[in-house]
Amino acid sequence: MALIETNDLWKTYDMGKVQVHALRGVSMKIEKGDYIAIMGPSGSGKSTLMNLIGCLDTPTNGTYHLNGKLVSEMHDDELAEIRNREIGFVFQTFNLMPRSTALHNVELPLIYGGMSREERLNKARHALETVNLGERMMHQPNELSGGQRQRVAIARALVNDPSLLLADEPTGNIDTKTGDEIMELFSELHRRGNTIILVTHEMDVAQHANRIFYIRDGLIEKEEIVRKAS
Amino acid sequence: MIYWDIFMMAVSALWANRLRSGLTLLGVIIGVTSVITIISAIEGFMGSVQSEIDKLGPTTFIVDRMGMIMSEDDFLEAIKRKPLEIEYADAIADGCKDCEKIALQAYSFAPEIKYRDKKLRNVYIRGTSSEIIDIVEQEVDQGRFFSHEEDHDGRHVAFVGTTIQKQLFPNSDPIGKRIKIGNIKYDIIGIAKEQGATFGHDADKVIFVPFNTFVKDFGEPRRNLHIYVKAKSMAVLDNAMDQTRVVLRAYRHVPYDKDDDFSMLTAESIMNQFKAITKFMRVGLVGITSISLVVGGIIIMNIMMVSVTERTREIGIRKSIGARQKDILFQFLFESVILSVGGGAIGIAIGMLLGSVLIGLINMDMSPSMLSILLGLGISSGIGLFFGIYPALKAARLQPVKALSYE
Repeated sequence: MALIETNDLWKTYDMGKVQVHALRGVSMKIEKGDYIAIMGPSGSGKSTLMNLIGCLDTPTNGTYHLNGKLVSEMHDDELAEIRNREIGFVFQTFNLMPRSTALHNVELPLIYGGMSREERLNKARHALETVNLGERMMHQPNELSGGQRQRVAIARALVNDPSLLLADEPTGNIDTKTGDEIMELFSELHRRGNTIILVTHEMDVAQHANRIFYIRDGLIEKEEIVRKAS
Repeated sequence: MIYWDIFMMAVSALWANRLRSGLTLLGVIIGVTSVITIISAIEGFMGSVQSEIDKLGPTTFIVDRMGMIMSEDDFLEAIKRKPLEIEYADAIADGCKDCEKIALQAYSFAPEIKYRDKKLRNVYIRGTSSEIIDIVEQEVDQGRFFSHEEDHDGRHVAFVGTTIQKQLFPNSDPIGKRIKIGNIKYDIIGIAKEQGATFGHDADKVIFVPFNTFVKDFGEPRRNLHIYVKAKSMAVLDNAMDQTRVVLRAYRHVPYDKDDDFSMLTAESIMNQFKAITKFMRVGLVGITSISLVVGGIIIMNIMMVSVTERTREIGIRKSIGARQKDILFQFLFESVILSVGGGAIGIAIGMLLGSVLIGLINMDMSPSMLSILLGLGISSGIGLFFGIYPALKAARLQPVKALSYE
């Protein structure tokens, strides 16, 4: 069973008189443990696709199975639980709580998951150590560098042991050298068995993945295999 | 305990915006303070009236020509009534087997009383039967009240309130001294226990003289005559009033198909009438001050709306990592309820303080009432919920994608 299986996904936005088709029938299969990059110019529909895969949004038409569950038919709160347990997000703009410590930021998904305080603090500390931020747990985002912030975000994405790590332009807001470190971290996480989907418009970032989906005008235009899945 | 964690999120969000939270709190504080002030002042006022009226005692009723006037029609009817007669007292004593004690009372104001070179103006003179001391709550502090014989003989004796003692006898014992009421001399035989001032009226600026003496010196009472009747017990109070009614109707030749042309007042009926008279004032005052409470609620709602808009992105982040609608709903609802209940608690404290100051200004005592505390807390948490639910729902229903891309 594939981790992700979409069938003829459509997303249509109603802009008053005109209808904009952001996705026009996307079908794809992603196996567990794979490392995928989704590439495309702006306006191609890659962000919309990522929102659908990340269960932040629901398709207008078509089906989406995640881990065998039909998430395209789920309600808001069911989707929230899927996001909480199955998906870890890493955003271009980090999206951390600005006034909370790194530790609290990482702990937050576990709070919504209903975990006890002691257990979630242990897991949050462990996740921060995994991304080499064990020394910076009590720092707030504005006391951290861009790369450190993104690593806090990655720790937050990992803390619930999700089935899928979803990264949207994770190096877009950091310098090249730090970006390389972040990409190295993703590769390391992939080697440890995490499934990763990366949305980017930079070719050299996409090259870290096993497969690249090229998206244009709401359709998967072509698929390129960079290296065989291990 | 996820709700505790969400509660703490609400607390830290409020703390992060201290100035704004403080100002919002102020809005609620002002609203709750004004309502609690008014409620506790009204309660204190009503309580003072009650304790004043209770001095009559639960088994006592007063026969009065006019009674409580509730309307212009009442007044026009009552003004035509015949005065009460002194002989009614003996008639009631004969005809009312459930009556224990009966006392006559007439009153007047003495323009001036004197002791040597000291003077006091406008003193309330009560000409009463000696039994009055057993009917109303009037205790003897020093000396004694006058006797039945002294009343019968029309002796010039006086039982005085503490104001008389303080003003005319600052350094000496008044008992046995002779004062002048107008030009007539009276011997002081006793001093009443202090009553305290109520509603700006000094209840201790009073002199009791025997009823028959009063009639001799101040003339036969007409409209200023009251008859105080004490029933044998609470159980027979209604019987005693009925028997008295029969006697009075016969004496006053009231036709069987006409209403009484006199009134009988008990402590309870006076209080009920007083409550009825002041009802609109009380409800009106509370109603008007409640407007400020609504304003406080609107401030909360306004601030929460701004807060939801400002924190759209934060809400998006929370949703993206798994916050459900109710998690967001409760966070924002907690924030508005903390503001309103916090403001409510502070407002109650200030309001009770102000209320007691107000009460103190008109010389009444007041104890903080549980009612106003519960009312204040209930109302303020209700306001937090009512005005907080819309912004919180708005936050909870935000679409994660839209919220995340909000700049």
